[in-house]
Amino acid sequence: MPRYSVSRRRAMLILALTTVLLVTLDLQGNGAVSGVRRVFSTAFRPVQEAVRVVTRPVENAWRGITEYDDLRAENQVLQDRVDQQEGAFIAALATTRDAQELLALNGVDNLTDISSVTAQVIGEGPTNFSQTVEINQGSNDGIRVGMPVVNAAGLIGKVTEVFANRSIVMLVTDASYSVPVQIVNVTEIEPTSTTTSTTSTSTTTSTTSTTSTTSTTVADAVATVSPGVAPVTTVGGAASMTTIDPASVDLSSLDLSGLVPTPPSVVTIAPPSRPESITTTTIDIDDLPAVETGALRGRGVDRAPVVEFIEQSSRFGEVRVGAIVVTAGGSQSLAPRGIVVGRVVKVVERLGTAGAILEVRLTARLDTLNFVRVLLYQPTVSR
Amino acid sequence: MIELVNRPAVRLVLVGLLALALQTTFFADLTVFGVVAQVMLCLAAASGVSGGSERGALTGFALGLMFDLVLSSPLGLTALVYGLAGFLAGYIESLSVERPWWLSAAVVGAASASATIAHPVLANWIGLEGWLTVRVLRIALVVSLVNAILAPLAVPLMRWALAIRRMERLSPPPEIFL
Repeated sequence: MPRYSVSRRRAMLILALTTVLLVTLDLQGNGAVSGVRRVFSTAFRPVQEAVRVVTRPVENAWRGITEYDDLRAENQVLQDRVDQQEGAFIAALATTRDAQELLALNGVDNLTDISSVTAQVIGEGPTNFSQTVEINQGSNDGIRVGMPVVNAAGLIGKVTEVFANRSIVMLVTDASYSVPVQIVNVTEIEPTSTTTSTTSTSTTTSTTSTTSTTSTTVADAVATVSPGVAPVTTVGGAASMTTIDPASVDLSSLDLSGLVPTPPSVVTIAPPSRPESITTTTIDIDDLPAVETGALRGRGVDRAPVVEFIEQSSRFGEVRVGAIVVTAGGSQSLAPRGIVVGRVVKVVERLGTAGAILEVRLTARLDTLNFVRVLLYQPTVSR
Repeated sequence: MIELVNRPAVRLVLVGLLALALQTTFFADLTVFGVVAQVMLCLAAASGVSGGSERGALTGFALGLMFDLVLSSPLGLTALVYGLAGFLAGYIESLSVERPWWLSAAVVGAASASATIAHPVLANWIGLEGWLTVRVLRIALVVSLVNAILAPLAVPLMRWALAIRRMERLSPPPEIFL
């Protein structure tokens, strides 16, 4: 091996020192390192695309051979689930509209106010350690580093690298991912019927509707129809009422064990005496679902994300299995308030003041991502 | 042009870019028992088998650096791990004068497994938490098996990429003179 003039030890030493230098520069956030990465990614992009085009048929053929039976079975299960959830979706629509109207009346931002860009997942993470996906939209579409990424089911992750026409998204399960969240203890009662109403403000007839019995996520605006928190809504205007057969609503996924019924909260929108009069709203604060805040942290693909640093609140009480986890928002949070993350599946108590750790089952299935939405949202402090 | 392509550095860049493209597309999408096959690591270890520990370390470092440039992990981490894999593969291979194909495959597999375990350990050392889990063992097992299977293709490829001539390949490894 006389081709190299440097000795082996010297070569190894140089390699080790180069590594230390590179790692140090990168961890310090050196601009040159990110610049080199950007240039290399841009130059490498055509090669990658060409190889993707060539290998796609082989990949599809392989998937067709190995995954056909699984996909067929999964398709049947999903079809059943779609049929079951259709009824629950209709029930949720009316409540969603009511919630949006209330948020708008009170000047509170909601997710429907935030612009978004739809993107397709075009690549998985190339390593076994960092949980990332690649999407086909980038800075040309207004995407910036840090923006939250969601799909119809809930939160997926955040944008960590942006190029002109593509971006890298860090998934919620990545060990480096963290976001402030709220835990909503949902109190549920035995379902009796599902009723929804649509309203019009053109007349002064009053209508009362009661008892929604399922929890549903709606694609465009996340809405929770809280079982047990039965809104009694009086709205000025004529109403047409639609009653859904309870048998058409899937309640099998709800864990109703150990849940305590609570008295219904009352939300009243007073009917206007004249068309131009101001609508007033009265909300019984005590009957709203209690909310606790904490930090959600990913732990890798094989372990469920956890919520830590939970603030202790006497009103909240103990966190129950099945509690809903949504993003908390805030001036410094990269995600706006109200994005559904998942449900608490396990509560691990710890001694002392450390507080409990909550294991969360994500509502979004991160292993079968296709189309996602990037919310063009940036926290107040970075605008 | 021919002269240019015959240079080991140019060949290495060409092979590396092609392998990197395959790694980030084909192999990233098609997982084996839920584990992403690591073809770049396979080439790094194969370079050690083909050219000895020193050349394996340098080649592994170069391949790892290319991989680092498309990852979001700290630049240099993968380069270090792949450099170690190339060095280790070359060193183990040098312990034997006879070099049957199955031994090369076993060496590539062993070096790949070692590097796969070393990767999260080093990541944890520089502050990246969450990588070091029990799952690493399963990843190491699958990656080493896949790379051992790919080794009969990867070793000749790296021999070509590093322009290792037949006489040089059949000569005793330099380590035995140390």
